[in-house]
Amino acid sequence: MSAPALPVETPRGWAGALAPGGRRALLLLATLAILLLFLGPIVILVVTSLRPGWAVYYIYRGTDFTLQNFVEVLATESVTRAFVNSFVLATLATLFSIAVTVSSGYMLSRFTGPIPRTWFGTIYLFRTVPYISWVLPLYLVCYELGIYDSYAGILLPHIAVHICFFSWIMKGFFDGIDPSMEYAALIDGCSRWGAFLRVALPSAVPAIAALGILSWLYTWNEFLFALILTGHNTALITVTMAQFVTELGTQWNLMSAMAVLAMGPAILITVFAQSYVIRGLRI
Amino acid sequence: MAQVVLEKLNKRYGQVHAVIDVDLVIEREEFVVLVGPSGCGKSTTLRMIAGLEDVSAGVIRIGERVVNRLPPKDRDIAMVFQNYALYQHMTVFDNLAFGLRNRKVTEVDIKREVARAAAILGIEPLLGRKPRQLSGGQQQRVALGRCIVRHPQVFLFDEPLSNLDAKLRAQMRLELKRLRERVPATSIYVTHDQVEAMTLGDRVVVMRDGRVQQAGTPLEIYNQPRNRFVAGFIGAPAMNFVEVTLESGTDGLYASAPDFRIRVPDERGVALMRVGARVATLGVRPEHVVFGASQHGTGFDGVVEVTEQLGAELLVGVRAAGTTLLASRIDPETRLAPHQPLHLSLNPRGVHFFDAATEDAIR
Amino acid sequence: MAEPPDQGHRWWRLGEQERFMLLLLLPAATVLVLFQIVPILLGANASFRDWTLFSPKKTWIGLQHYAYVLTDPSFLRVVLPNTFLLMVLSVSLSLGLGLALAHYLDRRFAGRWLIQTIILLPQMIAPVIAAMMMRWSFNDQFGVVAAFIDWLGLGSIAWLAQRWPSFCIIVFTDVWIWTPWFALILLARLRSLPREPFEAARIDAAGPWRTFTHVTLPMLRPVIGVCVLIRSIDAFRTFDVVWILTGGGPARSTEVFSIYTYMEAFVNLDFGRGSAAAIIGAGIILVVAGLMYKAVNRGADVSR
Repeated sequence: MSAPALPVETPRGWAGALAPGGRRALLLLATLAILLLFLGPIVILVVTSLRPGWAVYYIYRGTDFTLQNFVEVLATESVTRAFVNSFVLATLATLFSIAVTVSSGYMLSRFTGPIPRTWFGTIYLFRTVPYISWVLPLYLVCYELGIYDSYAGILLPHIAVHICFFSWIMKGFFDGIDPSMEYAALIDGCSRWGAFLRVALPSAVPAIAALGILSWLYTWNEFLFALILTGHNTALITVTMAQFVTELGTQWNLMSAMAVLAMGPAILITVFAQSYVIRGLRI
Repeated sequence: MAQVVLEKLNKRYGQVHAVIDVDLVIEREEFVVLVGPSGCGKSTTLRMIAGLEDVSAGVIRIGERVVNRLPPKDRDIAMVFQNYALYQHMTVFDNLAFGLRNRKVTEVDIKREVARAAAILGIEPLLGRKPRQLSGGQQQRVALGRCIVRHPQVFLFDEPLSNLDAKLRAQMRLELKRLRERVPATSIYVTHDQVEAMTLGDRVVVMRDGRVQQAGTPLEIYNQPRNRFVAGFIGAPAMNFVEVTLESGTDGLYASAPDFRIRVPDERGVALMRVGARVATLGVRPEHVVFGASQHGTGFDGVVEVTEQLGAELLVGVRAAGTTLLASRIDPETRLAPHQPLHLSLNPRGVHFFDAATEDAIR
Repeated sequence: MAEPPDQGHRWWRLGEQERFMLLLLLPAATVLVLFQIVPILLGANASFRDWTLFSPKKTWIGLQHYAYVLTDPSFLRVVLPNTFLLMVLSVSLSLGLGLALAHYLDRRFAGRWLIQTIILLPQMIAPVIAAMMMRWSFNDQFGVVAAFIDWLGLGSIAWLAQRWPSFCIIVFTDVWIWTPWFALILLARLRSLPREPFEAARIDAAGPWRTFTHVTLPMLRPVIGVCVLIRSIDAFRTFDVVWILTGGGPARSTEVFSIYTYMEAFVNLDFGRGSAAAIIGAGIILVVAGLMYKAVNRGADVSR
C-alpha cells in the first residue's frame, strides 16, 4: 500500500496548494455567501408568513409575529382540500410508478438483445420530449376519455412521466447488484419471476426507497401537469398557490404561510432522510 | 545532490503512533531502501520527507536546510508514485514539462531537458502520446522522466513497481539500476518487497511498527540481522527458527530441542555464555541446512515432509527438532520420498541465536 | 452482466426469455404508450389541423401552423433566444457555482451536515415556491432586496416590470434551484478521485488554479458532460419558474418556449397551432440533445 489507511484529511483539489491563512479567509467568505444566498430567500419567506397582514410590507422591521396566517390558510377549504389531494396523488403516483418501473428497469439491466435495446431507445427518446408537448394533447385525451379533472386523469399521466426516468435509474440500481445470486436461485429451482421478486428486488430496496422519496417530492412539487390537467375537483397545492400569486397578488402573508406549509414535507425529508435524498439525486 | 538527515522523526495520527523516533542519514547519491510489512511506517516516513504529511516531532534536513515547514514544491524533491500519477489528458511531453513550466523555465530549456530525459529513458517515440496509450512499464518510465527533468536534490520512490506484474517488475528493476549509473542521485525508495530492497539498495533500512529495526548494506542485513524480525523478513525462502535450550556439554555449549542436539559453534557459544542464556531461538537459513554429516557436531536427524521442485534447485521441508525446517539449494536430481529419514547438518557459519524474550540477536 | 440471449433474433420463436422480458415490460409500456406516445402522436396529428376550441373543425391544413410559428417574429426573436439564453446561462452558471460548492464541501468541518441540509433545500422545494420566494424578495415596493438597495442609496429597480431585469431574476432562480444538484453530483465524483495526481501536482509546484485546470477538471470531464446534457434538456423546457415570476411578461418579452406553447393552446385556444409549436420545440431539443450527446461521448474517453 502506498499510503496508510488512516483517517487523514489530505485535501484533494487545489485547496492543498493555498496558504493556510488565505484558505481560511476564503472559506469563511464562502460559508457566509452560502448561508446568505441559499438560506436567505427561505428565511424571508418564513418570516413573511409569520407577520400579520398589516406588517407584511416591512417584514424586516418591527417585531410583531403571529401564527394567524397559518390558521387562516388552514381554515380555507380549498387550501386544505388541495393539500389532501396533493398528498394522495403523490403517494399513489409514487407507489404505482415504482411498481411499474421496477420490472422494466430489471429487464433493461439483466437482458440484452432487440427487445431491451428498443425499450431503452424509446425511453431515451421520450425523455427528451418537452412536457408541454405531450401534456397539451394529453389534455384533449383526458377530456375525451372523460377523466379530466379526476384522480385517474392526473395520476396516470404522472406515472407516465416517471416511467422513462425511473426505468433508467432502476436499470442502474440493478446493474449494481451481482446477478450471480439470481443465477444461483434459478439453478436452485426458482422461476424467473421468483428470482426477480425474491432475490434481486430485496437487494435493491434501499435504492428504491431513495428513489421513492424523491418521486414523492417531485409529484408534490409538480406544476405544469397539475395546471393543465386539473380543475376544481382535484385541485393541487402548487396550482392553488400559483393562483394566489398571479391573481390576487396582494396577500403575501397568507400566501407565504401556504408556501411554508407546502415546503413542510421537503424540509422534513431533507432533515430526516438526507442520506436517501443524496443517494437518489446522484442520477 | 544533497544529503538527507532524519532526526528523531515522529508521526502521530490521533492515538496511532505511526512513525517512532526514526534516525537516519542518507548520504549524497546514496540509494536507500525503506522496507517492511504494511503499516510499518515506511510510506509515512517517505511522505514526511516529501512534505505530503506534516511532521509531529523531529527534524528533516535536505542538504543544509531544515525543511519541516516547507511545502513539497520548495523542497527540491521529485517523487515517483505507485500509481504513476501521470496527468492523463496531457501528452508525455507535457507531463514531463509540467513541473518546469510551473517554475517558469523557458520553453527552450524545457525542450532540451525533456529531450535529455527522454533519451536516457528511451521514451523519445512516446513524447506525443497520452498516458492511456502506454503500457504499464512505459508509464512508469514517464513517471521517472518527470523526476529527472527537474534535477532535484532527492528522488523519492513510493512502491513504484508494485503495480507491475512479476516479469515486468524484474525488468524495471534492471532499468532502475541502469538509470542509476547514468543519473546518480540521492534516492529514498519504499517497498514491501525484500527482493527489490536487496537488489536496489546501497543500504537497506528495515522498519516495523514505526521503528527502524536495522539499517545496513544488503549483505550486512542478510548475514548479521540484528533481531529475529529482520532475520525472518529478509531472505527468501525465509530463515528457519527453532526454540532451543542451552546446556554446557563436554566440549562446549549444546543447543537442544526434541530429537535434536547440536554443538554450538564457538564464537556463538562465547556470546551465549556471556549473556548467560538458558533458552534461545536458533535461526538458520535454508541454504545452510545441508544433507549429510558434519565435522562440527551440528548434525541431526529428520524426516522428509514435502519437496518443491524449482528446476535450478530442490526445496525440501524436513520434520526435525519438533518443527519443519526448510532446506534449499538441494540438487534438483535428488530423489526423495515422503517420510524418508535423512541425516542433515547445519553450516556453522549460518547459525544465529536470538534472545527468546527480546528477540535481539545474541552476538 | 446480462444473460447471453439464446434465440434473441427470431421474433416468431418467442422463447421463454423473450416472454419474460415482455411481461416485465408490459405495465410500464402500456402506461407509456397510452399516456405519452399516443398523446404525442395525437398532438402531431392536431398540429396539421385547424383545431380551435370554439370551432373544432379539425380540417387538414398541412404545414400552415408550422409556417406560422416558424415565421412568427415573436417566436424567432424573443421566445427562442430567451429559451436558449436561459438554457446556456442557467447551465453554465450552476455548473461553475456547483463546482465551487463541491470543492467547498470536499473537506471535513464542523457544521457540515447543516450546510449540506441548507444546500439541499433549493432542490427539494417546489420550483413554484422558489419562484414565489424570489418574486417576493425582489418585489420593488416591499421586497427585501429593494429595501437593501434603497438602504445602500442606489435608488430602486423595477425588477419585474422590465424585460432584462426580470430575465435576470428568472436565471437567478433557476441557478438557485440547480446549483446544489451539480454540487452534490460533482462532490461525489470529487471524493472518489485518486489522491496521487494531486500530490504529484503539489510536488510539481502547480498553484491552486493550475491544479484545478490541469488535474481536477480533466478527471471531472465525463461527469460534467453528462450533467450538462441532462440539465440542458431540462432547462429548455422550463415552465414553472417563468410562469410564476413573470407569466412570460412584461408584454410577453420573457416568454420561453413552453410558455409560448401554453399561450397558443390555452389562451389563444388554438390547439392546432399550439401543437405545432410543441412539436417544433420537441424537434429542436431533440437535435440539440443529439449534438450535445455526441460531444459528450467524444470527450468522455479522454480522462479516466
